[in-house]
Amino acid sequence: MTGRKYKGPLTVQRPFYPEGDACHVYVLHPPGGVVAGDRLTIDVDVRADSHALITTPAAGKFYRSEGDFARQAFNLSVAKGACLEWLPQETIIYEGARLSSGIAINLEPGAKVIAWEINVLGRPAAREAFTSGEADLQWRIFRDHQPFFLERSRLDAKAFAARWGLNGQSACGIMVAGPVSAQALADVQELIGDAPDRGVTRIDDMLICRALDARADLLRLFFNRVWALIRPDVTGKSVCSPRIWAT
Amino acid sequence: MVTGTDLSLLRLLQLVSPGLPIGMYSYSQGMESAVDDGWIVTADDAAAWLDGLLGEALARVDAPVLARLYDAWHYDDLHAVDHWSQTLIACRETAELRSEDRQTGQALARLLDKLEIAEAQAWLRRPDATLATLFSLAAVRWQITKTDAIAGYLWGWLENQVLCAVKLVPLGQVAGQKLLMQLSAQLPVLVQQVVSISDEEIGGSVFGLALASSRHEMQYSRLFRS
Repeated sequence: MTGRKYKGPLTVQRPFYPEGDACHVYVLHPPGGVVAGDRLTIDVDVRADSHALITTPAAGKFYRSEGDFARQAFNLSVAKGACLEWLPQETIIYEGARLSSGIAINLEPGAKVIAWEINVLGRPAAREAFTSGEADLQWRIFRDHQPFFLERSRLDAKAFAARWGLNGQSACGIMVAGPVSAQALADVQELIGDAPDRGVTRIDDMLICRALDARADLLRLFFNRVWALIRPDVTGKSVCSPRIWAT
Repeated sequence: MVTGTDLSLLRLLQLVSPGLPIGMYSYSQGMESAVDDGWIVTADDAAAWLDGLLGEALARVDAPVLARLYDAWHYDDLHAVDHWSQTLIACRETAELRSEDRQTGQALARLLDKLEIAEAQAWLRRPDATLATLFSLAAVRWQITKTDAIAGYLWGWLENQVLCAVKLVPLGQVAGQKLLMQLSAQLPVLVQQVVSISDEEIGGSVFGLALASSRHEMQYSRLFRS
């Protein structure tokens, strides 16, 4: 890593290099939550032939809002031959929160990526459901600036409860990884087996894995397993879990 | 009162007919796995599923993009045709949903080419061909109005999905017709909403559909191609 710049309460910690050339970076947002009217923006630029793994030490949080939207935008760009692993901890969306969150990833030719997003609606441990609030969640992946994958989910009380939505399950996640071989798809399908509420597809050479769960920790465990399975295929490296995950 | 029959109405009926040889009947859009997984068991479940897809996905993605494609063909703006076709393909959540759109789009291109719509030929093998791309081309050339084209596209989707529900759930023929009556009643209002959606508002992915379609790709025994 050649430089880090941050403004406001967001901080980027000094990087680790636990596996040689891959740069592990922790991004902290100390107040731990985003409230109405806040705007959090993270731009990441992974230069040619470099490798970055970015994670967060704690869950992100969006608190209840009476009116304004909170906004969060991640703009990730991965240059030729570079690799980005964007593996933040889950985001907790409190009952009544109103937010828009967008991840935009631009991949230059030969760029590699593994990225996930896990959202938890309400706080099931506190027996809180999601009967009010609104989340506008966008994923946009561009290959050489051409739109490749555009996904936009609007989650509200209706989508939370409906079978076509989350079916009342509080955790939902999406994971994107590529380029991957057809074998990687078969491996993930085998890992899923008969388990309900897990799915995977491969669009061109990009793996898209989705999951729903009543428990965020189980969803996270599933994504960790998928990551372990496909990381060698994407990056040529076996799994090296960020130390912070163990704490 | 007797009025003359408008030829464009008959053209629209031809375009949305299940008899149109583009193979729509072989795609269930994830419904086959949703039924297999026990997500859709009754006629009410099927109604709730289709109501969600219609309001959250079709009315926010397919229909507004179709409206833009219609304008693009109308003004011969081929750059806009490309842009919106690529946008629509990029909104398809899984490999199967993408190949469905590509295959039905290319099949309609083959048909329109034989029906002497010149622009169709360029789309015979394009990977970014979508059903909406070629549907809107036919609508413009056959002088179907934009709102009728949108209503027709949504109707065609709904009828096909109801036929899938009749086969898969399964439902009786009369129950299927009731479902069509019930769900199509909201189409006039949806069409009015669709024409006022801005570019920034476009987008609506339904998590259950994406998951069901992903699971369909690994379903062991299946009748449908999506």
